[in-house]
Amino acid sequence: MRASLFITCYNDTLYPETGRAVVSLLERLGVELEFHPKQTCCGQMHANTGFRAEAFSQAKRLVRLYQDTETVVVPSSSCVAMMREQYPGLIEELGNESLRKDFAALLPRVYELSEFLIDRLGVEDVGAWFPHRVTYHASCHGVRALHLGDRPYRLLAKVRSLQLAPLPNVDRCCGFGGTFSVKNAEVSSAMLAVKLQDVIATGATFCTALDNSCLMHLGGAMHRQYAGMKTIHMAQILASTEASPAEGVL
Amino acid sequence: MSAAVANHPVLDPTIAPSFPQAALTVLRNPQLRKNVAHAIDVIQAKRAKLVAEKTDWQELRTAASAIRMHAIENLGAYLEEFEAKCTAAGGVVHWAADAAEARRIVLDILRQENASDVIKIKTMTSGEIQLNPFLQAAGVNVFETDLAEIILQLGEQEPSHIVVPALHINRSQVREIFARTMGLKDLSDDPQELTNAARTYLRQKFLTVPTAISGANFFIAETGAVGVVESEGNGRMCLTLPRTMITLAGIEKVLPRFQDLEVTLQLLARSATGERMNPYNSIWTGVTPGDGPQRFHVVLLDNGRSSILTKPKERQTLKCIRCAACMNACPVYRQTGGHAYGSVYPGPIGAILTPQLMQMHHAQSLPFASSLCGACFEVCPVKINIPEVLLELRAQVVNQERKDLARFFDPMYLGLRVASLLFAWAWLFHASQFFGRIGIRLFTRKDGWIHSLPSVGGKWTQTRDLRGFPKQTFHGWWAARARQSSPASGKEAK
Amino acid sequence: MSAPVPAQSRQLILDRIGAATQSVKKDASQLADAYRALPRAYIRRGALSPAARIELMIERLREYDAEVVESTPAALPAAIAAQLKASGKRTFAAPEGLPAEWLAGGYNWKIDRGLSTAEIEEAEGVVTAATCGVADSGTIVLHHSPAEGRRVLTLLPDWHLCILRASQVVQTLPEYFDGCPQPPALVTTISGPSATADIEMTRIKGVHGPRFLHVILVRDEV
Repeated sequence: MRASLFITCYNDTLYPETGRAVVSLLERLGVELEFHPKQTCCGQMHANTGFRAEAFSQAKRLVRLYQDTETVVVPSSSCVAMMREQYPGLIEELGNESLRKDFAALLPRVYELSEFLIDRLGVEDVGAWFPHRVTYHASCHGVRALHLGDRPYRLLAKVRSLQLAPLPNVDRCCGFGGTFSVKNAEVSSAMLAVKLQDVIATGATFCTALDNSCLMHLGGAMHRQYAGMKTIHMAQILASTEASPAEGVL
Repeated sequence: MSAAVANHPVLDPTIAPSFPQAALTVLRNPQLRKNVAHAIDVIQAKRAKLVAEKTDWQELRTAASAIRMHAIENLGAYLEEFEAKCTAAGGVVHWAADAAEARRIVLDILRQENASDVIKIKTMTSGEIQLNPFLQAAGVNVFETDLAEIILQLGEQEPSHIVVPALHINRSQVREIFARTMGLKDLSDDPQELTNAARTYLRQKFLTVPTAISGANFFIAETGAVGVVESEGNGRMCLTLPRTMITLAGIEKVLPRFQDLEVTLQLLARSATGERMNPYNSIWTGVTPGDGPQRFHVVLLDNGRSSILTKPKERQTLKCIRCAACMNACPVYRQTGGHAYGSVYPGPIGAILTPQLMQMHHAQSLPFASSLCGACFEVCPVKINIPEVLLELRAQVVNQERKDLARFFDPMYLGLRVASLLFAWAWLFHASQFFGRIGIRLFTRKDGWIHSLPSVGGKWTQTRDLRGFPKQTFHGWWAARARQSSPASGKEAK
Repeated sequence: MSAPVPAQSRQLILDRIGAATQSVKKDASQLADAYRALPRAYIRRGALSPAARIELMIERLREYDAEVVESTPAALPAAIAAQLKASGKRTFAAPEGLPAEWLAGGYNWKIDRGLSTAEIEEAEGVVTAATCGVADSGTIVLHHSPAEGRRVLTLLPDWHLCILRASQVVQTLPEYFDGCPQPPALVTTISGPSATADIEMTRIKGVHGPRFLHVILVRDEV
């Protein structure tokens, strides 16, 4: 099984350890991974901030980059949501028939990480070990755009020595929302405060999710407040084994 | 007791402060935030239970969405049918192109009737056109009759929700308002007692004021009927006791046929108040001799709706049946309540409806007052894809603003324009990562975290730290690993 | 700016709408077909047996704090008399078309042959028939026929006794609409006594409109 990793612009820059974990995890599961060196960004930041005009070229570029790729794996729900929800409109407006065909053929081959594991590889037990109390935050794109459902829970349930603490109001937005987090920083922080109350009340040591965007927001506040909790992308939990535990985690 | 209190003076999108600014005031009001959160939690819990019980909920949503869209797309034909049938049944139909005209039409009718007092059923549309202050200034006493609206009118406050407008006010605050304005010194804060006080206060008004103003939840094209959905009974009072009835509502409220109510009524109460059915629905057709007002006027209001109709993606905004499920589900609204939106239509629907009614000349901050979580779309009984419309409106606002020279140096605008160039070429993207990493070191402390950033970044670091940029990017790590494993070739695609 | 002539605004608005919906609206000949083609996969007919349907109606009425008693057609006048007696009231309003045998003796009946509002205000309660009951939501539907009375009659008095026949009860709201031979001019639906949740979301009964709703469910079906 071959797959091509679309790391996403912000993981590439800010969370390379998540990428390393995806590589370690998938190679352990027998996937032959490729990495297209010319990848940059899916265009979500621009499309969501009203800079739609700038998103067209990014969408086109991404489609062209992966048009002949068998399978694309993306460790970010929001980027996959961008492709599923907004790319159709953008590509349609570009009015290029061959682009439209290539995109239509590509889209079913794009998987968010948990979708790839469960739907494509057909595995729930990835051989992971993570001896900590963990709570899972369901990011909005994962819940409502990708309808991930119970996939993340099924994966976490098979991680050895992991104690899963359920998060109350799990579907409630953490308040990140991309540039919303700075354009409406105060409201974003109010939403974050409410979310953090629920997260910290679980008594978990780690808060995990399938999106580093939410985790950057939650983790940033945890760090500021000396909250005694950390964030970690689920890829890093799933990649963690006794022989090779997650980076930077005791 | 004077009812000459101007209603909703500040919920005017043409002068309201921007959402981020307005939100600041309410965020620092813990009582308001508690009141809003409590009210929302109650409705949400009730709604969830009833939706789970309604096994055809999704089918109802699909039908309602299709019926409303069909009505909107054929609005001209259905409005003309409504007008003909309503007129034949004894109603008088007026058409108001904008708010000013609607106000004038209402005042002219009141003058014809020599009406110096008028009783009102809650209608957000009257707030939209700023009707109350206009009538008060013209010497007409306006008496609100909805409990929430009385609380607001007597308390000189503005509505913060379209179904439960006073949800930001708790019982002791209501007690204070009633005790003061009704002269009831010994009034307790028990909701039953407060409600009884309102009932007594209004009874005389219902029995003596001969002119009433209402809104409409639905117009039925097939029969020329009008429908009002309510809980308290003040609607029924206003609809049956006076001599003259004036109904003011947006042109988009039309349903093709009487039978379509079988869909909308099942969705509305469950969505709005978490009940299987609200206490009272009233449907009347023109004038019925011997029963109710013998003079009946309908004012059909455009005020920007026809311009929303021109836009294929935004048109769905007009499907709204004003249930407020979206604002009950919205995590942003939960923190700010309605006043921060500066409009009688707050929350997610307000964020798309208000700027569009203003033809994008005002309320441009509202489409950005959302984290795009999608909870609103999930609960909307008529399936308005609010996030989709928000994105469309954001693009329109940015397109307006990018022409403005001042914006050129706005850090957000500059940053995003530059970013789109950087993403166009991998080598440029990589170079920017390299230089960005160097630059950010200025702000990175010994613990490897950034605690304070300038400009736009400062909005992040107000409440959050940011981890310092790692020394090596992922693509850098991949390339290095490829070189290690096989110096000649590399595990790189194409 | 001078005020536009009324007819101008009408044409202006219709022209705007016409231009806006040019590409999506149907012409007159296709409109009805487009309407008929709209998806309606929701539940139209309920699956409950008649007995279960009645039980549901009673249960839902009671959830709204309406008092419900059952009766047979033969026992109805006595059942009405019992309700009137239990109310402790003396003066009742009644619609002109209410069956004479329902007007129990010993009370001050105000029959509505054109009662003034003041006269209706004097009534402590009102007795009416109904058009339909929708069990799913415990809703009573009035079409204000001669036996149901003018709208004000069921609004001003504080106590409303409604006679609902089992044969009038349907399970779902679509069944009510299916059962209407044509749309009535006046409809009032009643789902429990009036209520408000405007103060801290606490549901308070009886703002305006009858605070006490009593229903006699007449088992007229074999």
